[in-house]
Amino acid sequence: MTTVPPAAETAEVTEIDSSARCSLLLLLTCAALWLVLSGVLAVVNLVQLTTPTFLADCPIFTYGRSSALQQSIFVYGWAANSGLAVALWILARLGGEPLRSLNWLKAGTVFWNIALVVGLVGIASGDGTSNAWLHLPRYVLPVMVVAYGVIAMPGVLAWTGRRSPMTFAAQWYAVAALFLFPWLFSAAQMMLVFAPERGVLQALVAGWFVQGAWTLWLAPLALAPAYYLVPKITGRIIPSYDFASLSFWTLLFVGAWTGGRHLIGGPVPAWIATIAVVSCALLLFHYIVVGVNLRAAFSANGSTVLRFVAFGLGAYVLGGFIDAATAMRSVAVVTQFTHFSTAQSQLALNGAFSMVVFGAIYFLGPRITGRAWPSLGLIRAHYAAAVIGVTGLVLALFGAGWVQGHDLNDATVSFATMAAHTRPWLLAATAAQAVLLFGNLLLAAHLFWIGLAKSAPATGLFQSAPTMEASVS
Amino acid sequence: MKNGFTYFLGLFLALALAWTGIVLGSHAQLGRLSPYFDENEGKAFPERMAGIAARGQLVYQDLGCAACHTQQVRRPDFGSDKARGWGDRQSVARDYISQAHVQLGDSRIGPDLANFGARPLAVDPDRLTQYLYDQHGGMPSYRFLFDERKITGERSAKALKVAAPAGTEVVPTHRAEALVAYLQSLNNVYEYPEARPVEPAAAKEGEHK
Repeated sequence: MTTVPPAAETAEVTEIDSSARCSLLLLLTCAALWLVLSGVLAVVNLVQLTTPTFLADCPIFTYGRSSALQQSIFVYGWAANSGLAVALWILARLGGEPLRSLNWLKAGTVFWNIALVVGLVGIASGDGTSNAWLHLPRYVLPVMVVAYGVIAMPGVLAWTGRRSPMTFAAQWYAVAALFLFPWLFSAAQMMLVFAPERGVLQALVAGWFVQGAWTLWLAPLALAPAYYLVPKITGRIIPSYDFASLSFWTLLFVGAWTGGRHLIGGPVPAWIATIAVVSCALLLFHYIVVGVNLRAAFSANGSTVLRFVAFGLGAYVLGGFIDAATAMRSVAVVTQFTHFSTAQSQLALNGAFSMVVFGAIYFLGPRITGRAWPSLGLIRAHYAAAVIGVTGLVLALFGAGWVQGHDLNDATVSFATMAAHTRPWLLAATAAQAVLLFGNLLLAAHLFWIGLAKSAPATGLFQSAPTMEASVS
Repeated sequence: MKNGFTYFLGLFLALALAWTGIVLGSHAQLGRLSPYFDENEGKAFPERMAGIAARGQLVYQDLGCAACHTQQVRRPDFGSDKARGWGDRQSVARDYISQAHVQLGDSRIGPDLANFGARPLAVDPDRLTQYLYDQHGGMPSYRFLFDERKITGERSAKALKVAAPAGTEVVPTHRAEALVAYLQSLNNVYEYPEARPVEPAAAKEGEHK
């Protein structure tokens, strides 16, 4: 099996890229706007943790609601829109044909985002369901399932209509994310919102859904571009395709079983937590293979795209090991119910997912618009802000969580003292989140700039790969 | 991975197996839990939630209180739940069977509320109502759950003892009253057979721990 994507030997910009320009830019623009909004709310939430009076009199911004809004905007606004745009483009390129049913794609995007807006208004006005990652009210959920299916359709058509019967790792991950999310999402809706399970079974379903949404949807959406971009930019083949396949199936089959690690010690059967520990350990195989197979990303210099991807991959693998460590009961007794868990999800979402997708956006932007990025400086500034922001945010939250966990376990420490102990860490996290927000604003501005530019220069100028690259050299 | 059908089947199995294991597996174990009838007391536990408390649970849900408060007590040797006075025994699945929407929570920025109704703050509804109005430590005030209105005739018996402009009073809305009733109802003290704490030291030779 050849491991160099087939588009490499042809011109850099083809009909495959330019035909999808409007549809993909629509998805990406929505994604960038949601990313900025979620960043603003994340700053608000962190400020509220140290200054509880901040916006407290406004029911929309009471901490419980605004954190639900922030989470929903990040997952269903930024991650869904951007991840799908990147996955569709990769499937089109590897399939060797332009995307089909693009009008459906646009309609699906519009419906998905309108449903999200309605859902967010619902959460703000008190219709939230208070389920992690599924706060959106019941009246928008079915629309979102259908809209997702419509958006995913061009990707499925690109997969079934591909020119070569051979498939690439990037395709496996992308198609898995397209297929699995609607199943997972609708099953969780049924068992949590429309016909809720009884008692603690709700918590078990919620744990399964949140973990599944990460391992069966967002992680594959991030790994698809990683597996596409690393060999394409470095020109080096993936060291072991057999292991890539094994690692793919490990993620899919084992991933969702790790959801029970958040329920250690809770009123659920003990085997749930035990299976989660075992699954977390098994899943390390997947993380190691991803790290080894894509290690070329870490040694490549010159390409800013690869730097984003390398940071994301590093965060992804590191996150896997931290998940496994905190699934142990002896570690969970400190980290459970603290900011430590928040830090882990931030590492996964902002560190792994977002960074890889940023890299992919910087790679595909010039290709679908036919223009080079207007400013290399903006891209470098975004990279710097994202690295400082994510690192600072995650480290500060880890620190806050560790302090909080030890304080919680000492019954003589009051909650007021605990708040005083975590305050410096949370202030640092707020600052880091603000830096991250600034970086993401740069991305949004840049995306508008390249998208709205009126006169696209002749694509001939950009036919060679190096000019398309956001390269530093 | 040339075979599309095998690939598709694999995707389906990946999702279905985890669902079967986690959801159906625990459903088989816990799905038929019934209230426990105590003949000495002549009633079944957990008791049904009163109507106003059930409405209060919806307020708890829509304000997202679970973002900071858990409702699950872990066993005495795991964390400081018992030492902090959050409950004498660990929470068990049967505690939750009558709740429409279980709010286990996954963050303890504030204290656990599984047995909040038994604590001094919750015993007096007026004090708890006042607590929600004021700001305490890390918990913001929830003034939007209260109405400031003109006093017509006599001052309301529910009016809070707070500084309000002359001729006005601050009274809790129905939502605040429901939330207070819900918080007062949180109390799982009944000791089910499965909830008796395990005594690790009591194991003898030839006996399972």
